[in-house]
Amino acid sequence: MKLVPMRRMGTRCNVIMEQPLFQHNKPGRCVTFAEYRDEGGFAALQKALKELSPKQVEQAVSDSGLRGRGGAGFPTGRKWSFVPRDLPGPRWLICNCDEMEPGTYKDRVLLEANPYSLLEGIVLASYAIGVRHAFIFIRRGYETATANLQRGITECLAAGLLGENILGSGFSCTIDVHSSAGRYICGEETALMNALEGKRANPRAKPPFPAVKGLWGGPTVVNNAESLANVPGIISKGPAWFKALARTPEAAGMKLFCISGHVVNRSCFELPLGMELGEIIEGPCGGMRPGSRFKACLPGGASTPYFSAEHWQVPMDFDPVAKAGSRLGTGGIVIFDQDTCLVAATLNLVRFYARESCGWCTPCREGLPYVVHVLETIEAGKGSREHIAILQDHIKLLNYAFCALAPGAMGPVQGLLNNFMDELEEHIDKQRCPFKARE
Amino acid sequence: MPKLIIDNIPVEVTQGKTVLEAAKSVGITIPHFCWHPALGKAGACRVCAVKMVDGPVKGIQMSCMLEAQDGMVVSTTDAEAMAMRKQVIEWLMINHPHDCPVCDEGGECQLQDYTIAGGHGLRRYTGKKRTHVNQYLGPHIEHEMNRCIQCYRCVRFYQEFAGGTDFGVMGSAGRIYYGRVADGPLESPFAGNLVDICPTGVFTDKTARFRARYWDYDMAPSVCPHCSLGCNTVPAARYRELLKVIARQNDAVNGWFLCDKGRFTNSAVNAPERPRVPLIDGRQVAWEEALAALLLRIREIGTEYGAESLAIVGSSGLSMEAASLLHLLHEKTGAGSLCYFVDAGEAQQSATVTACLNEQASASMADIQAADLIALVECDLLQDGPMMALAVRQAWRRGAKISLVEDAAGTVAQNDNGLNSTDKLPFEVERVASLIDIPFADAAHPVIIFGGGDKMSEVMAEAGKTGAKLACLLGGPNSFGAALLAKEYGAISLAEAVADKKVRAVVSVEADIPPELLPKLVVVATLDWRNTETVKAAHIVLPTTAWVEMDGTYINNEGRAQRFKKVMQPGLPIKGLNPSLHPPREHTPLVPGGQSRPAWEILVDIVHRLGSEEDIQLFAGQWQRLRDLDATGNGLLLTDIERGIK
Amino acid sequence: MIDNELKITLEQRVAAAVTPREAAVEVMKELQHHYGWLTDEALHEAANLLGLSPLQVEELATFYEMIYRRPVGRRVVHVCDSISCWAMGGETLLEQLAGRLGIGVGETTSDGMFTLLPCCCLGNCGQSPTMLVGDNLYGGLTLEKALDILQREREGIETK
Repeated sequence: MKLVPMRRMGTRCNVIMEQPLFQHNKPGRCVTFAEYRDEGGFAALQKALKELSPKQVEQAVSDSGLRGRGGAGFPTGRKWSFVPRDLPGPRWLICNCDEMEPGTYKDRVLLEANPYSLLEGIVLASYAIGVRHAFIFIRRGYETATANLQRGITECLAAGLLGENILGSGFSCTIDVHSSAGRYICGEETALMNALEGKRANPRAKPPFPAVKGLWGGPTVVNNAESLANVPGIISKGPAWFKALARTPEAAGMKLFCISGHVVNRSCFELPLGMELGEIIEGPCGGMRPGSRFKACLPGGASTPYFSAEHWQVPMDFDPVAKAGSRLGTGGIVIFDQDTCLVAATLNLVRFYARESCGWCTPCREGLPYVVHVLETIEAGKGSREHIAILQDHIKLLNYAFCALAPGAMGPVQGLLNNFMDELEEHIDKQRCPFKARE
Repeated sequence: MPKLIIDNIPVEVTQGKTVLEAAKSVGITIPHFCWHPALGKAGACRVCAVKMVDGPVKGIQMSCMLEAQDGMVVSTTDAEAMAMRKQVIEWLMINHPHDCPVCDEGGECQLQDYTIAGGHGLRRYTGKKRTHVNQYLGPHIEHEMNRCIQCYRCVRFYQEFAGGTDFGVMGSAGRIYYGRVADGPLESPFAGNLVDICPTGVFTDKTARFRARYWDYDMAPSVCPHCSLGCNTVPAARYRELLKVIARQNDAVNGWFLCDKGRFTNSAVNAPERPRVPLIDGRQVAWEEALAALLLRIREIGTEYGAESLAIVGSSGLSMEAASLLHLLHEKTGAGSLCYFVDAGEAQQSATVTACLNEQASASMADIQAADLIALVECDLLQDGPMMALAVRQAWRRGAKISLVEDAAGTVAQNDNGLNSTDKLPFEVERVASLIDIPFADAAHPVIIFGGGDKMSEVMAEAGKTGAKLACLLGGPNSFGAALLAKEYGAISLAEAVADKKVRAVVSVEADIPPELLPKLVVVATLDWRNTETVKAAHIVLPTTAWVEMDGTYINNEGRAQRFKKVMQPGLPIKGLNPSLHPPREHTPLVPGGQSRPAWEILVDIVHRLGSEEDIQLFAGQWQRLRDLDATGNGLLLTDIERGIK
Repeated sequence: MIDNELKITLEQRVAAAVTPREAAVEVMKELQHHYGWLTDEALHEAANLLGLSPLQVEELATFYEMIYRRPVGRRVVHVCDSISCWAMGGETLLEQLAGRLGIGVGETTSDGMFTLLPCCCLGNCGQSPTMLVGDNLYGGLTLEKALDILQREREGIETK
């Protein structure tokens, strides 16, 4: 775990920032249960179980303005409020830790350093929703994080922070870790529920929505790990405190930004929502690597349309990024320099999605390989104007796929056409990739 | 009842119907692959795109996924919706082989139809096609995975609808593969439906492989003769050869499907050893000679043993037309016995069932699907009526409780494989000791399924007490009709007649005289289309037409009369003609081997020759309603009067 | 065949699940750990444990990237080919690694030690290019560094 000195946090960031998620992190190792507890961990849980009703916990999360950190940015408190409390049978909470979006690694960094915030957040959310059995669905490859969570669960059970009658409150809750076997689509919440039930991880039709009919047919909330890990802070320090952590009044809280690509510091930073893109790159990222100039970036993971230099000053928050034509997504910023061929980059991205399609619906299963084929043809110097039309058709028609995977896959293609059409046309006009040396 | 507007046409449909079904109800066919009336929605193929112009939902939507609601305004001709549908076809054709000229599905292929309809004619995709290795799925079904368009119909039918567990979908993304873990015959007794349900040519019927095109087939609405349920079928024949059988939709009986027994056990129709020419002691003769000989033999029997020693024997497989004329033969010959059944047990069971099963109490297969409690008593569904097991499974999937009443003998008969076939039933059962252990009072739509046996009175009493509907499995396709006739004419079974030492000789009309009885009897004549032991023992053989070679009627296990139509000409299949006889040197206007006649027609002929002057009409008297039966409808459920129940 | 101890462990895991199917992925992973890959024998054992048919287990096994239904080496080397690693030279790393191991992508070294596969983003984008060897995640790779790591993994297995 690399910690970034505060002075690197950008020119306009002179005050010491609070970092609700990273505050307990220890260099080079995972925080211990005792350290977390002694540094004020589990205070939120104690407070909630003693002083707050489930409704009040939900209200605090609603008031905080916390929006889902998994990509869609749906207000977390509102999601909880959709769960009918009067249906018979169990309700379920699933923590989505199937982090497989290229360019995104925040959950791993978070959980390799500290599993306790998430566990505390899950118990708080379970209390708010009335869930007795929560699951953490974690991806293959995150073996250290999985081990941390499993150890943390054992410790919490021993300390009476989990299990039957938590802290004498009468509230009981267990957490199971479900370790997956590698498939991007498992991160889609309805596919995740199928995966968890031991079925093929095809997405389910909505409606019915998971909040009403989800896991094993019961009301279910699926929250991202980062969202849930923020709940303890909101409960202990209050919604107003959380909201004010953001840079802009419209935004709320801090966000884990994972940086990769052609910058100096490629790391995961906990930064205020609303920081400008350029500010993040020049500040915590330490600027572009020597010899590199900024050309483009994926602002929020592999499914988001590219930003170009003209987006330098876009505040990195859900609505401003959307207004600028892209999505904040997972906060995984992948930065490309002037030598990157964006046709090739887009080809890599769409190839990923074509391979990770579950195979349920035609547009995704057949349309994405078609787009791959078209991009391969253009990149190989055999493209024609008709190929641009085919790409445009696919950008439009892949919206009518069964789930959001295929439309997401077309995000970068749309970004390519919107912001880098000249580069695409150059490939076609010159009948070669301008970034490849002439043979 | 939601009201909506589709392409400017006002539509009203029942609650819960989709926009796709609503459009269909006013004659607008929206293309679809994955949606199927019996399987419901999947949303996988995305070809049923429409534009929602106004109402609660807007924009491009899949019409199969959207429940019709008040105020919806739908356009199926919207440019973007059409662009989407066209694009889906292009996507599906990227990998689909251009093997239509040698594909058995050609001409009856939904993908072919929609590709043509959508005008997709130019290939823009220049990459390679994805290919798969096919599997051996048994003797009946050919597998050609390259043609697959991944609509998931097959696996949804096989696993969800039919409860099979050995066939499914593997892989992900473009690697999706429908098949088994390894080569081997499909285990489900309903596997043949994959052929019908696949919208393209992944699963085709091996019995018809490379034999004909859809437009070449002789086809007509028909009824399956292999058990008492009367499932509706479309047999397909060409050049006097029955090539395959397709399920025909009848929501009151078999729904959309058919069991493998009904689909794949029809080779007897084409069998080379089938009797096709009248025979006297094995010698081929003309009809005239055969019938004259028959009359002579009947007279000889009368002289030798007395006319009363003769039995006229029909069967539960005989069409109602022929069965309803047997009594005339009985009268005119002066025969001592008239038997509609050979086996005493079958006669007894059919008699009891028809005596008790009134119109109200009788459960159709649709009733079984809609039941919330089903009791199984002394029945082997997979042996005696597989499609009823499929109907029970649908009820079970909807949450119905299925109880199986055990008896001391261990519930049910052993099936052919020596296995107790309840283990393979496609639903879970709760085993109870007796009918009284089943909480009928808690159920809104209880049904008792009874296989026949000594518990009949107990079952009837319980059904009467609880208001449960009753479904009984009988022996043959016309057991019900035969039992009604037996009652009307006071017939007993052949077994009983023989036991009473009344019978020395028989005229068998499509009946199977048990091998142990054959040595005791003189088989004067057999009317049949199958090469049975009885045919082999008969002095005179009169070839009849099989059910696909004539019009006819069966009355199924619930008392539903159903008409089947002539599909093909009787005669030797062209494939079976002796090539050494080419070119033909004997000149005849007849089709080779085409002398078979419907059993009822032969009976009329004999009766006339025996001296009857009367004009014999089919379905006289109380059977009049059967005369104008429509083969494409749901048939006629017999009234209590027709059932002889007061 | 699995030993009784593992069988009991897995039976308990299945019994503890909300429905037997819920434990399917875990059972497959444990059996894969035992056999090295999910053999046909393992497929049938999983089916018995889960109350499913072998086909129903196969439907799941073939869905996942990291359940192996073909023999693999002692360690599977998954080299990430997603965007962040691609930007930092991951594509060439995979090719070069294949060349140095003397195998094609998707093949196993002749000593049965390593199977080389490309894979979906490993969530180590900050230290791209990256690879997963068995359960161990390695980042900041160059060809030399990757070969070193494989050498160490090899020694680790051999000294066991």
